[in-house]
Amino acid sequence: MPITPLMIADIEQLIGSCVTDVFGTMLSMDVHPAASSDPADPPSEAHVASAVGFSGVITGVVYIYTSSSFARRCAGSMLGLTDAEIDGDEMVNDVMGEIANMVVGNLKSGLCDRGLTCVLTIPSIVRGKFSIEPISSSERKVFHFTCESRPLLVEVMIKHSSERAA
Amino acid sequence: MKPKILTVDDSKTIRLIVGKAFKPFDVDVFEASNGVEGLAVASREKPDIIILDITMPIMDGSECLAKLKSNPDLKSIPVIMLTAESGRENVLKIAKMGVRDYLVKPFKEDLLIERVGRVIELKAKGEGIKKAKRYDDPLSVLVVDDKPAIIEQIKSAVADTPWTVHGRTQTGEAVDFCSQNLPDAILVSLTLPDNAGFTLFQMFRASAKTKATPVFGMCVKTASEEQLRAQQVGFTGVVTKPLDPDELKSKICRSLNLDTSYKYFQQREGVLVLSLPATLTPNVANEISLQLRPKVAEAVDSGLGKMVVDMGQLRVADVNLVRLGISAIQLCGELSLKHRLVGSSLVQQECRNYEETKDWQFVASFEEAVAALNDPMAVAA
Repeated sequence: MPITPLMIADIEQLIGSCVTDVFGTMLSMDVHPAASSDPADPPSEAHVASAVGFSGVITGVVYIYTSSSFARRCAGSMLGLTDAEIDGDEMVNDVMGEIANMVVGNLKSGLCDRGLTCVLTIPSIVRGKFSIEPISSSERKVFHFTCESRPLLVEVMIKHSSERAA
Repeated sequence: MKPKILTVDDSKTIRLIVGKAFKPFDVDVFEASNGVEGLAVASREKPDIIILDITMPIMDGSECLAKLKSNPDLKSIPVIMLTAESGRENVLKIAKMGVRDYLVKPFKEDLLIERVGRVIELKAKGEGIKKAKRYDDPLSVLVVDDKPAIIEQIKSAVADTPWTVHGRTQTGEAVDFCSQNLPDAILVSLTLPDNAGFTLFQMFRASAKTKATPVFGMCVKTASEEQLRAQQVGFTGVVTKPLDPDELKSKICRSLNLDTSYKYFQQREGVLVLSLPATLTPNVANEISLQLRPKVAEAVDSGLGKMVVDMGQLRVADVNLVRLGISAIQLCGELSLKHRLVGSSLVQQECRNYEETKDWQFVASFEEAVAALNDPMAVAA
């Protein structure tokens, strides 16, 4: 199944509502769409990327990028803990993984309702100063948000299942 | 025995959120990070409910549920599935798996509590020991009234107690307050616009957190329709405006079964003393009357044989005093307790005006009463 502009528009809409819903419900934080910046810019601060993949009729991966300080803030908000109570990176990783799981879980539900059935992978976390480059056969879409005036970036990479099989 | 909740989720975050959600309740929460661990904990602890994630490593929620349902010892444990996938197909699949309920992530803590509260009885921590609470213990009272003056009046009414009044003028603010706190008692205006007071009451009763909290309606004495409706829907009681501080405190005390007996009953110098307050309202007289028999019996049981009914502070002798005094004297007779009455000259004078009390003999002070009780030659009052 080719990736159509309609599919991309659907994913854009789904990502927007899923991110807003997850951050609003679980973290009591308002998320706003933001103007895009150059994703090739090197990050000024080490960041955390939480990733969940989906595989099936449609295959891909979703990364949620935040700065490590904002990821810590998210962990505190989600668990009702102060900064001092957050016990190391493991706790932050788990929260960011769960946020990605909820966002992509809801995205998956929307995709499945449109006939694009797929299953999810277990969340994973990458930390550091890096950027993720897609392979040429993938469609890449980056969505920019702000949350408490901090940038929040969601990157979706999609590959067709037929291409994956090949 | 405390209800047991088992949360099975590979995400420590979710397990922490579940644990935090049920912290205000008298429950034990157990954790497992995958289906295999979940089955082991379920076999060991026999939880009253399992909150089960679907996507997990080692053994996912679907397989875990299938194994639970095929185990005769575990199949009856209600399971609530927790899933990040809300698609139609997924929901149908879950429904066919024999779960009691399901929750889609993201979810609010209150929603989780409400769903679990539908399956098991959730009691707030400390609910079982409320009987031991005293009138002078700190209490939290939520007042919902769109008139700030009423909130201020209630604050003044309980100013002589360590109770804290939290005033809210909007029902939404009251709901927010209860999501973060658990008040000991709630007062709601019955005349909020659009029946909001009644709607709020239904929300309190539907919430596992506040379903057992006493909720009083407030309205003017003449609003009989609202009072009747409040009784019908199950309000704990109605407090009428203008507020009577003693009535308000007395109603809250009774609803929480607070021990107020120490205000009236003391043991001094080997004697049980019943000290009546300056004003004996019907509520206070009733409160003392209910405590009289158990407190006197307790004193006799602990070896006391003498009682003083101290009316020294009383400003007026009325029918409330007459009834209470008669009960106390009769009880002393029944339990063979020697007793003396202490009263001011004013009270003594007024008592002579009632047929039932005209023969009561008073002494002027507690010391005189004790001396008389200890005098073997003294004639009983």
